[in-house]
Amino acid sequence: MATTTAAVTLSSDLLSDNMSVSASTTCMKAGTTADGLDQIEYGYIDVVTGDQFDLLGADDDDGTPVAGVMASKANKVYIKNHSTDETYYVSIMIDAQDIGRLYGGDWMFIPWNATTDDKDIEITASGGTNKIEYALFHQGKTLVAS
Amino acid sequence: MATTATISIASDIASGFGGINETMTLTQAGTLTDIDSTTGFQIRKLSAASAVDLVTIANELVEPEDSQAAKIYIRNIGYKGVIDKSSYVTIGVKAEPVGRLYGGDWMMMPLTNIDADDVTATPETDNTVVLEYVMFYEEA
Repeated sequence: MATTTAAVTLSSDLLSDNMSVSASTTCMKAGTTADGLDQIEYGYIDVVTGDQFDLLGADDDDGTPVAGVMASKANKVYIKNHSTDETYYVSIMIDAQDIGRLYGGDWMFIPWNATTDDKDIEITASGGTNKIEYALFHQGKTLVAS
Repeated sequence: MATTATISIASDIASGFGGINETMTLTQAGTLTDIDSTTGFQIRKLSAASAVDLVTIANELVEPEDSQAAKIYIRNIGYKGVIDKSSYVTIGVKAEPVGRLYGGDWMMMPLTNIDADDVTATPETDNTVVLEYVMFYEEA
């Protein structure tokens, strides 16, 4: 079984009693305790301003309206904005719904439902060309014959 | 100390994947100034398979600034020490499902904090499940 673990440590002094939270999870296939996510897409790209791009597509590579075996599963997505200018950011959207902004240095880690082919993770750069690292951990998608 | 979040991902899926270890300091949008507001650490017990607002943006006592650098951490901590990896809570923004948090899973997500963009939680079943969460944001 492939094993992928994701851990977070969060600390803050905004409250008078400093907050410290630690959590770790082993990324399993949907609904199982014995079988881990076993496929990965990992990349690093420049995202230029001016257009909205699909960072991760929920549809098959040929555009057919099927989300493949990723659909409604336990996929996990990591995105980090490696831009060094703190004024640069990327807006993250799913199916045209604004989720939020990742400024230079920010990262996010979310589950991704990918229930239908229009649930792409979309990205739009602001300020300048943003440098984006991303990883998708999943349990398989439908490949398209060449 | 400010507010920091460190992620560590390790995986043996691909031998060439060396893992991810990154720390971010939560700052106000477009600046190096520390983020200044939080909901504090909270838990929410859910016992019905219906959508609820985990965070209703318009109801925050300190009004969040729209479209800045807000973040939310959420974890499915199960119930009474029992973490069920076979069931999940779907986390969404407004009417859009983002993904499923199975037992023990956690997420860190940016937010717009626009009033309409509430954070929603929809358990898969009526079985009781508890979410812990904390949101960091800028005061309007």
